[in-house]
Amino acid sequence: MRVADISKIGLLVWLAAVIVAAFFYVHAAEGFIGESSRIVFFHVPMAWIAVLAFLVSCVTSVMYLRRRDPRDDIRASVSAGLGLLFAFLATTTGAVFAKIMWGAYWNWDPRQTSITILLLIYAAYLALRGAVDDPERRASLSAVYAILAFVTVPFLVFVVPRIYWSLHPDTIINTRGTNEFDSRYTQVLLASVLGFTGLYVWLYTIGCRIEAIRQRRRQEVLDV
Amino acid sequence: MWRWLSEALAVAAKDLRTEFRTRVALNSLGLFALTVLAAVSYTVGPYRISAEDRPFLLAVLLWIIVFFAALAGLDRSFVKEEESHTAPLLRLAASPHAVWFGKLIYNLCLIYALMAILVPLYCILMGYKIVLLQSFVITLVLGGYTLAVVTTIIAAIIARAMTRGALFSVLSLPLLLPLMIFLIQGTTGASEGTTETVTNTVRAVLSMGGIMTIVSAVLFPVVWND
Repeated sequence: MRVADISKIGLLVWLAAVIVAAFFYVHAAEGFIGESSRIVFFHVPMAWIAVLAFLVSCVTSVMYLRRRDPRDDIRASVSAGLGLLFAFLATTTGAVFAKIMWGAYWNWDPRQTSITILLLIYAAYLALRGAVDDPERRASLSAVYAILAFVTVPFLVFVVPRIYWSLHPDTIINTRGTNEFDSRYTQVLLASVLGFTGLYVWLYTIGCRIEAIRQRRRQEVLDV
Repeated sequence: MWRWLSEALAVAAKDLRTEFRTRVALNSLGLFALTVLAAVSYTVGPYRISAEDRPFLLAVLLWIIVFFAALAGLDRSFVKEEESHTAPLLRLAASPHAVWFGKLIYNLCLIYALMAILVPLYCILMGYKIVLLQSFVITLVLGGYTLAVVTTIIAAIIARAMTRGALFSVLSLPLLLPLMIFLIQGTTGASEGTTETVTNTVRAVLSMGGIMTIVSAVLFPVVWND
């Protein structure tokens, strides 16, 4: 078997182990209703991976503007799409948690508001890509918008929810600079972040390859 | 440095002069704002909202009118260059940063002209009492500036795309939503008299405006020269 196959199976086994650990290795935390604290192992990594994906999109956009390599444009669009997916999943898991803890899926909490704005910004990025025909123009306009969009990300994800009082539980990057988690929670959380990062890298690689093939085929059709 | 500035002012003067000939953007902005104001004033009026809700709800309505009027008219600066095919000549005539700054001044003039007419009319028709008048004006000025900066770069982007009208709102609104939230809070604070809220708003809007100015100035040549 090739290295790629082994690492994919390894990743799946790792994620399965994380899921099992989330339910059997750690105990439900105090201060949370029922078993709802276990959602931290899925909600938090997805939020972090969304920010990572948006960062990759911004960096590859800058690289595209500098060297005008179409592969950088592909990377930027695939990463933005994945970031949107992970942000949406983080929002959904957060809403489920909100329903269990506070009785309502959605109440426009500052964190919920800022993640909604983030989803709208990147959905607009995809809309922009759909609206421009010429590939080079599409690539450079999207790159500019991706950079503009990422400028707002730290603001929306890290600053706004900390300025306004929110129901959201205290975050891992907190003002006291301490890790308030139980050691088992920390272990499983780190394992989960690693697993989700692997998942993102896998989806990103496949997505870039598919998009490259699609563009090559489109070019072949035009050349004929 | 002076050459750049004189180029920018020349671009702004050209835009303002052509705008006064046809008044397309002024009409879009002005009529939209006045129509919505009439509708809001007729349906809500100065009496229907209770006294404790007035500072907040009237701030919300005011900024909704300003933002949507801006989205109706502020894309004209670049779209009309593409439609009348004068964009290539402008690229030859002025440096990209001068064009950006000139278009920004033009959009600023439009938005401040809109606010100068709309805001007093709104306060009169809706009975909106402002306690901290100076803070209110500062909020309007800074909010208008940040609005103009964001809409200028987005207008430059969509002018090169196909479905311009709808795309302008789609791209601008998510970026402007945090600004709108801050401005509503600041205006509520100015109306109630809470200086702390206004100070927070001014800080937030200044930082957002500053970041957007720098990023737009850096990215505009890429969009313009593409």
